[in-house]
Amino acid sequence: MNIAVCVCSVPDTASVVGYLDGAIDYSRVNMVINPFDEYALEEALRFKERVEGSVVTVFSFAPDSAKEVLRKALAMGADRAVRVSCSEDALQPSDPFLTALGLSRAISGFYGAILPDLVFCGKQSTDFQSAQVPSMLAELLGMASVSGITSLHPSGEFLRVEREIEGGIEAIDVTFPAVLSAEKGLNEPRNTSIRGVMEARKKTIDLFQVSLLEEPFVVLSGVEPLERKKICCFVPDEHELLRILSHDCNLL
Amino acid sequence: MKKFLVFLEQREGIVKQSSLSAWNRVQELAALDGNSVVAGILAGPVDTGQLDGAMAGDGVIYHAGEDGLGVYNQERYTRVVADTFTREACTDLFFADTVMARDMAPRLSVRIQASLLSGRTTLDGDDGVSRRVYSGSFQASFVPTRQPRIYILSSSAPVPAFPDGGRINFIDIEPQQWTVEDLFPMVRRIIMGEGPPDVAEARIVVAGGRGMGSAEGFALIEQLASLLGGAVGASRTAVDSGWRSHAEQIGQTGKTVAPALYFACGISGAVQHLAGIGSAGVVVAINSDRGAPIFDAADYGLVGDVHIVLPKLIDLVKEFLKKQ
Repeated sequence: MNIAVCVCSVPDTASVVGYLDGAIDYSRVNMVINPFDEYALEEALRFKERVEGSVVTVFSFAPDSAKEVLRKALAMGADRAVRVSCSEDALQPSDPFLTALGLSRAISGFYGAILPDLVFCGKQSTDFQSAQVPSMLAELLGMASVSGITSLHPSGEFLRVEREIEGGIEAIDVTFPAVLSAEKGLNEPRNTSIRGVMEARKKTIDLFQVSLLEEPFVVLSGVEPLERKKICCFVPDEHELLRILSHDCNLL
Repeated sequence: MKKFLVFLEQREGIVKQSSLSAWNRVQELAALDGNSVVAGILAGPVDTGQLDGAMAGDGVIYHAGEDGLGVYNQERYTRVVADTFTREACTDLFFADTVMARDMAPRLSVRIQASLLSGRTTLDGDDGVSRRVYSGSFQASFVPTRQPRIYILSSSAPVPAFPDGGRINFIDIEPQQWTVEDLFPMVRRIIMGEGPPDVAEARIVVAGGRGMGSAEGFALIEQLASLLGGAVGASRTAVDSGWRSHAEQIGQTGKTVAPALYFACGISGAVQHLAGIGSAGVVVAINSDRGAPIFDAADYGLVGDVHIVLPKLIDLVKEFLKKQ
């Protein structure tokens, strides 16, 4: 069974993302694997452990500097890693369509006529939070998809998955091939062992060039830093708090 | 002239309130535009009588009422919406922000080659969308480049007061020939939770963090939430410690909430948590550490141990509600 996993890198939540000359400043940012992609990769590795002969290949549409994320994926247990790059300097992480298009071309090109049985993605990246790439990728690959899964159990020719909906849970049967995007709660990603890290250093990261001449669907026209600070009014006790909320704010 | 198409989501034959709000907001946008018409697409068998007087403005609703569309099916729903959008020469497609919309809209975007933007408020006539990125550290502006456009409306934007009871005409869409291939993914079962409202939709959220100390400590949070008719929320620490389920997590790897009133109890206020409460109305922080960053994100702060403050507050709220 062939399993593809799409990963990207995002700023570590503990890093301070700066602002310089009207743009986001990444100079003080520590990049890590997108947390949702880690759940996707973990689920792919668990699938591989259940089905003998499975091969997990990780794809990342990213500049050369983002290779560390692929190394981390190899250290966790992925068999192969592919960095997808495009010559036209069209790498626009803010446009989900071009990201999905680049990934779909890399996956189609890499596997040839027989597409992978499963493609795992994180449900969204934590930086732009569009949550659009997985379903777009599925449409481009001609596959079914389920977004934001919280559990997965193979059952004969089906995969039984679940996801949270408003006020409940939806249990869904899906057939191969499919794109599944991972929500937190799907699993607990494994830690990388020292041996895994050493072995990952020896593995090669393949490069796959894609051509992207299409226009983006959406253009990022500007960013402004947000002043999040509020001026906190400290109240002396519970009586005063209740009076403010019920009387002044009329919220209760 | 623009033609707006609004996706009306139903579950078990009931059209969702969030879709009706979306319809009313799009009517407001059409009125602002002056020269636009609004239509709706409703998939699944629904007694349309329930919509009498619930929808503002005039418009046509295309109703694909066949039984095969009773529960959500990604491919069938996508096809019904795409066909209607194209056949009726619509220019813009609108969704309320729901799980179903997030599952279907990206697929539709590729199929009808439309720009897809989420987080839109309809209060301005601007085609672009401005929303928070990077855990709420930045406000980013996005501009569509394609002519057909799909918008997922921001759930936190206010719904306009609009006179209800417009003239709505229903046009039935003929049942289609479906194949087995488009049957999957197939929803097998829906398990609805009972009791408190979902944290993403609640008007009041009472959230707890590390300071609650244990799963048992959350009894206080549950009590206050239940008294106020609100939902329980949790920080990442509380979820990762196994005290609460992920469905209640608020923040970067959890939910984004926009309640009118938010209580942060024993939550320090890490950046990844603040990412989820940027659109909340009044934020109240209760924490024993006066230097905790949560107070920089709060409107009102009470410095004290949650295990002492909350029982007192719960008693006072009980008294207050009795007098009401």
